[in-house]
Amino acid sequence: MTGFDFNYLIQVLPVILRALPVTLSIACLAMMFGLIIGLIVTFLRRSRYHLITRFFDLYVSFFRGTPLMVQLFIFFFGLPQLIPIFSTITSYPAAVVVLSINASAYISEVMKSSINAIDKGQFEAALSIGMSNAQTMERIILPQAFKVALLPLGNTFISLIQGTAITFMIGLKDIMGVAKVSSAASYRFFEAFLAVGLIYWMITLFFTKVLSLLSDKLSKGGII
Amino acid sequence: MKKLGFGILSVALLVALFMLGTSISGQDESDNSIVVGMSGGYKPYTFTDEAGELVGFEVDTWNEIGRRIGRDVEFKTADFSGLFGLLDSGKIHTISNQITVNEKRLDKYIFSDPYVYYGAQLVVRNDNMDITNLESLKGKTVGVSLGSNYEEMIKAFDTNEEINVVTYESYQGSLQDVSLGRIDAVLNDKLAGLTAIQESGLDLKLGGEPVELLFNAFPFVMDQDPDLIESVNQAINDMYEDGTFEAISLKWFPVNITEK
Repeated sequence: MTGFDFNYLIQVLPVILRALPVTLSIACLAMMFGLIIGLIVTFLRRSRYHLITRFFDLYVSFFRGTPLMVQLFIFFFGLPQLIPIFSTITSYPAAVVVLSINASAYISEVMKSSINAIDKGQFEAALSIGMSNAQTMERIILPQAFKVALLPLGNTFISLIQGTAITFMIGLKDIMGVAKVSSAASYRFFEAFLAVGLIYWMITLFFTKVLSLLSDKLSKGGII
Repeated sequence: MKKLGFGILSVALLVALFMLGTSISGQDESDNSIVVGMSGGYKPYTFTDEAGELVGFEVDTWNEIGRRIGRDVEFKTADFSGLFGLLDSGKIHTISNQITVNEKRLDKYIFSDPYVYYGAQLVVRNDNMDITNLESLKGKTVGVSLGSNYEEMIKAFDTNEEINVVTYESYQGSLQDVSLGRIDAVLNDKLAGLTAIQESGLDLKLGGEPVELLFNAFPFVMDQDPDLIESVNQAINDMYEDGTFEAISLKWFPVNITEK
């Protein structure tokens, strides 16, 4: 029974694929919430109050500076011991929350540099025709910044998809969890991990393609 | 900007509802069912069969205990490294994954009566003739499973730190490394070793006689309702008396592992 078993690889693929909705939905939800939180954090880091900017700089620094696994452990196992109500949160929302917060830190960095990349003249021009700060942001700066940010945000999303691979630790049956359980039952690690690796790769290729189509479309509208 | 603000607010509300929903359903579950955590990756104790169903000795044992104590059993699978975290944070009632009773664990958990008695066993590569007991491990490298009892067992014996211990997250991974020659031996329980040798087809054998006699039980957190633990103990004792344990054991193993 040693050696590579191609048949097992084919057999295990559909079994793993059944868990794909879990992996994808967590990644997509986390990306969505991550974008919202990330944007808010970006604005707060541009605040004129030092205390607020300091705090959110620290937030970004912590969530970029610690492994996702540590954050997941702290949130899912650590917090309920301090605050009992947290123990009612099940593993799915917990994974979404932790991945969203983690992604928001990276997204905030991307957005910050993208906003900085927009020419100062754009701010000045918008303000000079009487737009408020918020209007300038919404109508002039953000649309341009998003175009700059598109590809790096795509990278964040891809890391997020792969980040879901550790969620079996808190009992979530994502594609990695199913691959682990299947390989333990069959003793065929090489095949099961190769299968799950191929699936991650295909997902990544798919979203890379979608992203490049999107960025082509956006660049036809000018600016980049 | 107003639109954006409204969007954020509605999403925040949705999230709040989402969390609230889960907390209510969480309370419902804890009332009439018992949630049992296991790795789902420890054949033949807990694993998924070809149909994708969770099966094994632990599953049968708990289905029977659940029937006897009149509660629905819900199985929760998670990586072994997360199981005690799930127990501590109240997300599962107990762990059924061949958890061995030892002093450190007794400080933190209340254990049910034991349900499995076994010997710790070394597994080595077929061509290894030297390793037969803990003494012969000196100067060698031995693999143990993360969170298992074996590392402490070796440490207690190896006071001069002459044995190199490597911790693995998966038992199967450590066996793979023995067959590849990366480590010299694996210390785990005898039956899991025997089953793995037979089924994996890896070039392995048992190294010597069992090292030490141990027993396994179900851990509960200290503030667990004592009535629940009492009813589980009652079920375990009944299952010993009417031969149910022997039957479950023989279904999965060539011998009765529940025997003292």
